[in-house]
Amino acid sequence: MNDRLSFYRKRNSPVHALNPFTKLILVSALIFYGLTAKGFWTATLMVAFVLLPLALASKLLKEYVGVALKVILPTAGFMFVMQSVFIPGGTTEIFRLGFISVELETVQRSYLIASRIFLFISAFVLLLLTTHPSELMSDLTRRGLPPQFAYVIISTLQIIPQMQAKAQTIIAAQRSRGLDTESSFFKRAGLLVPLVGPLVFGSLVEVEERAIAIEARGFTSTRTKTFLHDIPDTPADKFIRWTLTLFIIISLAARLWLS
Amino acid sequence: MAFVNLTNVTYKYPLTQTPALQNINLRVEEGEFVALIGPNGAGKSTLCYTLAGFVPHFFKGELTGSVEVAGMQTNQSSLHEWVLNAGLVFQNPFNQISGAKYTVFEEIAFGLENIGVPRDEMKVRVEEAMRLTGISDLADRSPYSLSGGQQQRVALTSILVMQPKVLVLDEPTSQLDPIGTREVFGVIRTMAERGMTVIMAEHKVEWIANFADRVIALHEGQILLDGTPREVLTSDILLDKGFGISRYTSVARRARTLGLWKREGLPVTLEEAAEGFKNA
Repeated sequence: MNDRLSFYRKRNSPVHALNPFTKLILVSALIFYGLTAKGFWTATLMVAFVLLPLALASKLLKEYVGVALKVILPTAGFMFVMQSVFIPGGTTEIFRLGFISVELETVQRSYLIASRIFLFISAFVLLLLTTHPSELMSDLTRRGLPPQFAYVIISTLQIIPQMQAKAQTIIAAQRSRGLDTESSFFKRAGLLVPLVGPLVFGSLVEVEERAIAIEARGFTSTRTKTFLHDIPDTPADKFIRWTLTLFIIISLAARLWLS
Repeated sequence: MAFVNLTNVTYKYPLTQTPALQNINLRVEEGEFVALIGPNGAGKSTLCYTLAGFVPHFFKGELTGSVEVAGMQTNQSSLHEWVLNAGLVFQNPFNQISGAKYTVFEEIAFGLENIGVPRDEMKVRVEEAMRLTGISDLADRSPYSLSGGQQQRVALTSILVMQPKVLVLDEPTSQLDPIGTREVFGVIRTMAERGMTVIMAEHKVEWIANFADRVIALHEGQILLDGTPREVLTSDILLDKGFGISRYTSVARRARTLGLWKREGLPVTLEEAAEGFKNA
C-alpha cells in the first residue's frame, strides 16, 4: 500500500547508477530541447531514439512502455483529437463533418503539441522509474534545496494513501449511521460535507502532532545535516551534466542567432 | 543540584485564562523513573511538553519559573538544542512516524541526519538502538506497514538513538492493544533498568506500581501527591478526584470495610494483595 505512489523500480543498470541530479538535468535538457526545437518530428524522434533506448538500458522497457501506452498515450491522444477537431484556423480542409471542419494545419499543430506533451511526461516517468524519491530529495537537499521543501514532497507522497484509507473509514462510519451514499448525484455531492469535515479537521490536528514529532527529532537543527545513504556522484556524472548544459546553451544560442 | 529541576513553574496556553500548570516544584535525580498520574486535564501532557521544551518554545503561551535539565534552562536554549536534552514520545504512534522515510532503518536515522552525525557513527548507533528495543528484524520494513505496538517502538527507538539525557513519555501505550502495550512497556523498563532518567505520564497504575520508583499525582495543574508508588497509589485523597486506582487496592479497601483485610497498608500489586489475603 505504501509504495503505490512510488513509481520506482529497483534494477541493476547504468541509468539507476547515475546520480539523481544528473538524471534530473538529463530530463530537463530533453524536455527543454524538445519544447524549443523547431523540427516538426523532433519530440517524436527523441522519444523513439533517446527515451526508448534509455528505458532499455535501465532494464525497464516493459514498465516504461506500459505507462506510456496506458497513461500518457490516452492523455496526449485525447488532446490531439480535441485540438484537431475544435480549434479552427487552418486553410487546407481535410474533411468536413457537419459543421466541424478539420484542417491540415490544425492537425499538424495539434500533433506537435501532443508529441511534446508525450515527451515531457514520459521523460519524467523514466526519471521516477529509475530514481528512488528519497534519494532524489536527499541529493537535492545536499545541493542546497531547503529540507522543508524536500520533506513536504516526500511526506505528501507517503501520506496520500493513508488519507485515502482514512476517507474510506470515515465514509464507512457515516454510512453506518445512516448516511445515504447510493442515491442521486446531488445527494451524493452533499455527502462531501460530512466526509471532508472530519478528514480536514482531523488532518489539522495531526499536522500539529507531526510537527512536534519531527521537531523532537531535531528537524530544525542548525547543524549541517548528514545523510544515511551515500549517493555517488562520479566524474562521469559531472561530465554528463556539463555536456548537457553546454548542449542546451549552444542550441539556445543557435536558435537565437540563426533564426 | 538535581538532574531535573522545576522551580515555581506556572504556565498558561495562549488564549486561555486558567493556567494549565500552577506553581510546580519538582526535582528528579539522575536515573530515577518517575510516573505522572492524574485525570484528564490534570496537566500531565502539559508537564511532559514543558520537560521536553515544547512549552514554551512550540506552544508559546506564558511560562514563569524555571525549567532546568542537566544544567541547562529551557528559556535560555532553543528547541532544537533542547531535544538533545530531553526526548519526547507521545500517544499516537502513527503521527510520530516522520513520513519522510521509506524504511524503519531510515526512519530511525532521520534524527541523526538532522543533527549531523557522521554516516559511520549513524549506522552503528541505529543498529545498537534497534537491538536494544528489539526491532532489528523490522529494519527494512516500511514504517507504515507496522502494527501500533511496533510503530510505537520505532518512535521510541527514533528518540533513544539521539541519546537524550531524559526520556519523557506522554501516555505511550494509551492507543495500543495489550500486546503492543506489553512490548512498549518492556522497552521502557529496559531503559529504566539501564539507568536512564525516565518521566512518564501513564494511566495504567498496576504497571506503574510494579516498575516506577516514584509517583506524582497531578490535579488541576498542581502536584497533589509525590512519593513512592505505594504511598501515592493507596492514598485516600485520590478517591473522589477521578484518578485511576489499582484494582488490587480497590479490592483490599472494600475488604477492609468488611473486616477481611487486616494489614496496615493497602496493596498496589497482585503479589502484595495475594500476600495480604493469605494471612487474613
